[in-house]
Amino acid sequence: MALLEISNVDISYGKNVTVKDSNITLEKGEICSIVGESGSGKTTVIRAVLGLLAGGGKVTAGDIVYEGRSLLTLNDKEWRALRGHDISMIFQDSGAMMNQTRLIGNTYVEYIRTHENISKKEAWNKGAEMLGRMRLPDPDRIMRSYPFQLSGGQRQRVGIAMGMTYQPRLLLADEPTSALDVTTQAQIVRQMMELRDEYGTSIIIVTHDLGVATYMADKIVVMKNGEIEEQGDRSYMLHESTNAYTKKLLDAVPSLGGKRYV
Amino acid sequence: MFDEKDLVLEAKHVTRRFPASGGRQLLACNDVNLKMYKGKTLGLVGESGCGKSTFMRFLVGLDTPSEGEIWFRDMDITKLKGRAAWENHQHVQMVFQDPSTSFNPKMKIRDIVCEPLLNFGRIKASQKDGKARELLEMVELPGDFADRFPHNMSGGQRQRVAIARALALEPEIIVMDEATSALDVSVQDTVIQLITKLQREKNISIGFICHNLGLIQSFAHQIAVMYLGNIVEVMPGEGMAEKCCHPYSKALLDAVFDVKMDFSRKIEPIKGEAPSPLDVPVGCPFQDRCPHCMAACRETRPVLRELEPGHEVACHLFENGGAI
Repeated sequence: MALLEISNVDISYGKNVTVKDSNITLEKGEICSIVGESGSGKTTVIRAVLGLLAGGGKVTAGDIVYEGRSLLTLNDKEWRALRGHDISMIFQDSGAMMNQTRLIGNTYVEYIRTHENISKKEAWNKGAEMLGRMRLPDPDRIMRSYPFQLSGGQRQRVGIAMGMTYQPRLLLADEPTSALDVTTQAQIVRQMMELRDEYGTSIIIVTHDLGVATYMADKIVVMKNGEIEEQGDRSYMLHESTNAYTKKLLDAVPSLGGKRYV
Repeated sequence: MFDEKDLVLEAKHVTRRFPASGGRQLLACNDVNLKMYKGKTLGLVGESGCGKSTFMRFLVGLDTPSEGEIWFRDMDITKLKGRAAWENHQHVQMVFQDPSTSFNPKMKIRDIVCEPLLNFGRIKASQKDGKARELLEMVELPGDFADRFPHNMSGGQRQRVAIARALALEPEIIVMDEATSALDVSVQDTVIQLITKLQREKNISIGFICHNLGLIQSFAHQIAVMYLGNIVEVMPGEGMAEKCCHPYSKALLDAVFDVKMDFSRKIEPIKGEAPSPLDVPVGCPFQDRCPHCMAACRETRPVLRELEPGHEVACHLFENGGAI
């Protein structure tokens, strides 16, 4: 049985159907990249998986099944147990999801104690240990910092550490590297790949960077105007695809030693 | 490689320090020497905070360096004041990163692209319609867009308008600060094609700031790599991937994800992050992240040395002309 099955899903904001008839299947330990231009609905799809559609968005048709259980019928209590524990999400700027006026440590402790009945001290240590595992130097200093005191790369690692605390089976990443420098991006990409190798985490990564998407993915989904234009495994999409839009996207990626305009 | 008689602009020993709290100083640009040639593109690459934007802002007159000179049209433009500085603006124009915030949202596209021309008295108000149409068609937009507001257009269209506005005065130099990084790849591709086409037609020099080596090497004639306020390597754009030799340039190259790359290759990103420009280490700025760090790197700062015409590198490894 697949870990996650998105079948014939329509997502609407009010009367506008923004995502139409989408099907994505994700196996355990698989990495799937969703690529497309801005406004193509790629973020909407993964937000729907976690029940986090903004501004009254709703899944109006189809079903999202996670481990044999429909995610569309969960109540708040069931969602709280699932989110951040079985399914985690990393956002574009993890610093923005944290309260700017609270220490990272306090945010982290609150998160851990939502899922586990342990003392604040134990939770603090668990958080610091997790930060260390994500190769953040001096985890205790990070725990005692405010989000704005960290660099973009550090904040993103904190976000990944938080997301990975309970070794979720599914990690959703929404443009996790687009706000970062290329060198930091390479570090974060590598770290996410290691998560899959170490914990068998399945990952859905949404990105407009086709380089990152193809490097990470087993499977690539191309979206356009709210519909899935084409999907398939990486080598098929790169070499055999005959879809004009997929080809256009791939050709537009600047390539080292590739075409020059001057 | 480049003909010295085509030299348009030359920066000599440009240094910029910003005062910081506690009496400290932030060194944004340290002894930068760069040349720009007629009709050629200079790409400036580096991580955020390395001082690449600070340097380009000097060219447009948005800031002045603490030390050093920038020679353009037989004048040191860092010393220009008042009317002379204003007159100089028509020769150097800028395209900003985010086209949605670099326009006045209350102005129509017609007024946006014609404003520089009216400022410098090049056209009369009655000629605006025709001129706006001509400028928009130059950047391959329908002339009817003159009646639109910036928010009625997509990001790529807005960036084209920004290019049209920068070109309106027919400047000699255009500075583009990450002009395509807010755009989708497919749009980015068409904007780069447009820029290079216009460059060929009008023989403009471009200073392009970018952090993506894969993109910059596709259209720059010379590429300067900057790290922590220092230029560490200057090289020709063509064949850059094979020629580059500074460990930092190589690290930047390794960090490029490419749809044509070998996917089985494990990426080996350089460790850590750039140190704060508030306390730049003695010696080589890259010492703490460099895999080839030697004793000399901790003591003296390497200076740019020519390896071959048009290719200079600041690294102790190449002191005696040797290679890694």
